[in-house]
Amino acid sequence: MEEEEEEARGLLADGPDEAGRDAPAVPGALPALCDPRRLAHRLLVLLLMCFLGFGSYFCYDNPAALQTQVKRDMQVNTTKFMLLYAWYSWPNVVLCFLGGFLIDRVFGIRWGTIIFSCFVCIGQVIFALGGIFNAFWLMEFGRFVFGIGGESLAVAQNTYAVSWFKGKELNLVFGLQLSMARIGSTVNMNLMGWLYSKVEASLGSAGHTTLGVTLMIGGITCILSLICALALAYLDQRAERILHKEQGKTGEVIKLTDVKDFSLPLWLIFIICVFYYVAVFPFIGLGKVFFIEKFGFSSQAASAINSVVYVISAPMSPIFGLMVDKTGKNIIWVLCAVVTTLASHMLLAFTLWNPWIAMSLLGLSYSLLACALWPMVAFVVPEHQLGTAYGFMQSIQNLGLAIISILAGMILDTRGYLFLEVFFIACVSLSLLAVVFLYLVNRARGGNLNYSARQREEMKLSHAE
Amino acid sequence: MCSCEEPRWGWGHCAPGPILLLSLLLAAPFGLLGEETRQVTLEVIPDSMGLPQNLLHIRAVGTNSTLHYVWSSLGPPAVLLVATNTPHSNLSVNWSRLLSPEPDGALMVLPKDSIQFSSALVFTRLFEFDSTNTSDVAAEPPGKPYPPYSLAEFSWNNISDSLDPATLSATFRGHPNQDPTRAFANGSLAFRVQAFSRSGRPAQPPRLLHTMDTCQLEVALVGASPRGNRSLFGLEVATLGQGPDCPSMQEQHSIDDEYAPAVFQLDQLLWGSLPSGFVQWRPVAFSQKQGGRESALPCQASPLHPTLAYPLPQSPIVRAFFGSHNNFCAFNLTFGASTGPGYWDQHYLSWSMLLGVGTPPVDAFSPLVLGIMAVALGAPGFMLLAGGLFLLLGPKRYSEYQPIN
Repeated sequence: MEEEEEEARGLLADGPDEAGRDAPAVPGALPALCDPRRLAHRLLVLLLMCFLGFGSYFCYDNPAALQTQVKRDMQVNTTKFMLLYAWYSWPNVVLCFLGGFLIDRVFGIRWGTIIFSCFVCIGQVIFALGGIFNAFWLMEFGRFVFGIGGESLAVAQNTYAVSWFKGKELNLVFGLQLSMARIGSTVNMNLMGWLYSKVEASLGSAGHTTLGVTLMIGGITCILSLICALALAYLDQRAERILHKEQGKTGEVIKLTDVKDFSLPLWLIFIICVFYYVAVFPFIGLGKVFFIEKFGFSSQAASAINSVVYVISAPMSPIFGLMVDKTGKNIIWVLCAVVTTLASHMLLAFTLWNPWIAMSLLGLSYSLLACALWPMVAFVVPEHQLGTAYGFMQSIQNLGLAIISILAGMILDTRGYLFLEVFFIACVSLSLLAVVFLYLVNRARGGNLNYSARQREEMKLSHAE
Repeated sequence: MCSCEEPRWGWGHCAPGPILLLSLLLAAPFGLLGEETRQVTLEVIPDSMGLPQNLLHIRAVGTNSTLHYVWSSLGPPAVLLVATNTPHSNLSVNWSRLLSPEPDGALMVLPKDSIQFSSALVFTRLFEFDSTNTSDVAAEPPGKPYPPYSLAEFSWNNISDSLDPATLSATFRGHPNQDPTRAFANGSLAFRVQAFSRSGRPAQPPRLLHTMDTCQLEVALVGASPRGNRSLFGLEVATLGQGPDCPSMQEQHSIDDEYAPAVFQLDQLLWGSLPSGFVQWRPVAFSQKQGGRESALPCQASPLHPTLAYPLPQSPIVRAFFGSHNNFCAFNLTFGASTGPGYWDQHYLSWSMLLGVGTPPVDAFSPLVLGIMAVALGAPGFMLLAGGLFLLLGPKRYSEYQPIN
């Protein structure tokens, strides 16, 4: 998903910037909350930015939170259920390259944000209508539309953040946005089941209508996000007028021909990324029922434990980000994260231990990996190719997620959870293999990937001389 | 018995190596367990007049022991299991006495002193519940009960017609003698019995692992009209108690659901200490013939209870073998829940169990799982080792970049 890139950019963006510093004084004093130069106003904008992404993160994992209900009410097997995730990923295989371009050249950040928010809203409404009309294909189509908006909206959210906070509180803002995304996912996991039962009680019976109405109510969060997009557009335009600042740009330049210049370490980073995330997101998508069936959890407890990864990630991402920044040695951290994830999946597969242990480990390692892996791209790619490299990384990640989601559903239907876990272990193991290979290649070539923070400083100084 | 009985938070019991060893160790002292090969035969025993009667004899002969399974639908469907410690034991049937009102002693396994273990299962009643207003899945009973069908008052087909010596199987198919509502006009209750000449698994879920020491029973209710929109069905199973106590029921939690997706439990009925009989089943039934995951129904088993309080339908073959003074224990199986798939989908319900003597078969990881795990864990380790060696011993071309620290 998009959020890892946010982290990466947050970690990379460390240059001071003077945007808006020399803006002319506004005639007449404005209250602090309405003055774009004041912290109070920026906090208001920050609040809007955080809620801008809330809807899409809330609704992304709606299927996971309602897995039992979706499968029962729509009478689909797990393979078909996982198509809901695959359809979200398909458009993003292409859109990862296009999102930045559309924002910079076609729509502009304001209209871009509004349009992507509309896609998210419409997608969720179609998804819910699919439930009400008992048409699974409509649900799939809804997820496709939702996917068109979802990832690009995250790009827009980043662009806003950079435009308003660059040189000020940018890293903190990225951190907060990320935490908000996790909170959105967590609230979804724990709320939707309850909401379904309430709707069921008021409608009198369970069924596809109940499901559709529940999803429609969940769609309110998307409307909220759309309102935030509109408000942000207004405030951004107002700030432009008052401060004479420019409209924010992603600054992404995508040149697909750059792909042929990608180095071996970069390809290895891609492999690590794809095979790591396919063992996390599809697992969370299928997780709830796994905890119910294998560990005998109640529906609520299963929801809670399925959201542990997000809960841990919310506070730990900034902490790990700081830690990796201070220590360097990215490959070693990535290695730790991948090995921990491997251990966590093995615990889930081969023991009946309380899954809180394994899921906490997974949450920690997932946060650590995001902080250590994504910034590595910047070390192996010249700056002008950075946009292409990140776009490509997300694109193949989405491709991987789409394919593995379908595969995971098929494996689960025919071979069961043990085999599914073994499959995920194999994926993580491939990722581990790539990490080890990356380490060796880096050592053999004397690359800079595994420098400590001090070494990086020294390199920077020697380059400056 | 083994680590299998460990509660929830232990390591899964399915590590193949130790269990295999343990079961071999356990099996060794008892001649009749763990036979390498058995000659398994299946025959329908005709009565003295040569008239077809539903008495099916499965005989599994090993080098030092013989297992006898006698299935019959005289009265309610029932099975006797008898294990002897000689390869030469025989079943003798006194037909005139067996068909009389007092069949005591009509069935014997000879020589009598070779019998190591014997017991019986009787399938007495088919329950039906109305689950419309029940939300509690584990409720007991799972809904408003309809009057049960007594399986003693069913008429059964002639099993000689369905006898298949190639697959070692036969099917008892029956419907009520009195069927005023014509519920079974297009339907039947079938008991498909199968023995095995080698160990393996059937292709159909729940794919219980069978050996030559076991036989499998598949109960299928097909096409009968339910009395409510959301009818759940159940089966009453009676067995002989050992002395005053009932046999014990075990729920094993396993980590391996490869053969029965999403079913992490194996239920077992054990008659006592080894050598003893066992009944084994996965708590899952299916509402479609293909038995996919989307048609899986939960299967609840009640605890075993003595049946002194009410009379059970008598099984002539049980009385013929064990005499008239026995204490029976019974338990109820209930298939499905008020929500999710159910019998109402396709008017189909099937459930399987395994019946055997000796150590119950224990699932092990499939070779595919073991293979993938070996490669998945071995490859990165090997790579690290090989790469490390290469870096240590290989040419140090870039050494000028190293000593920054």
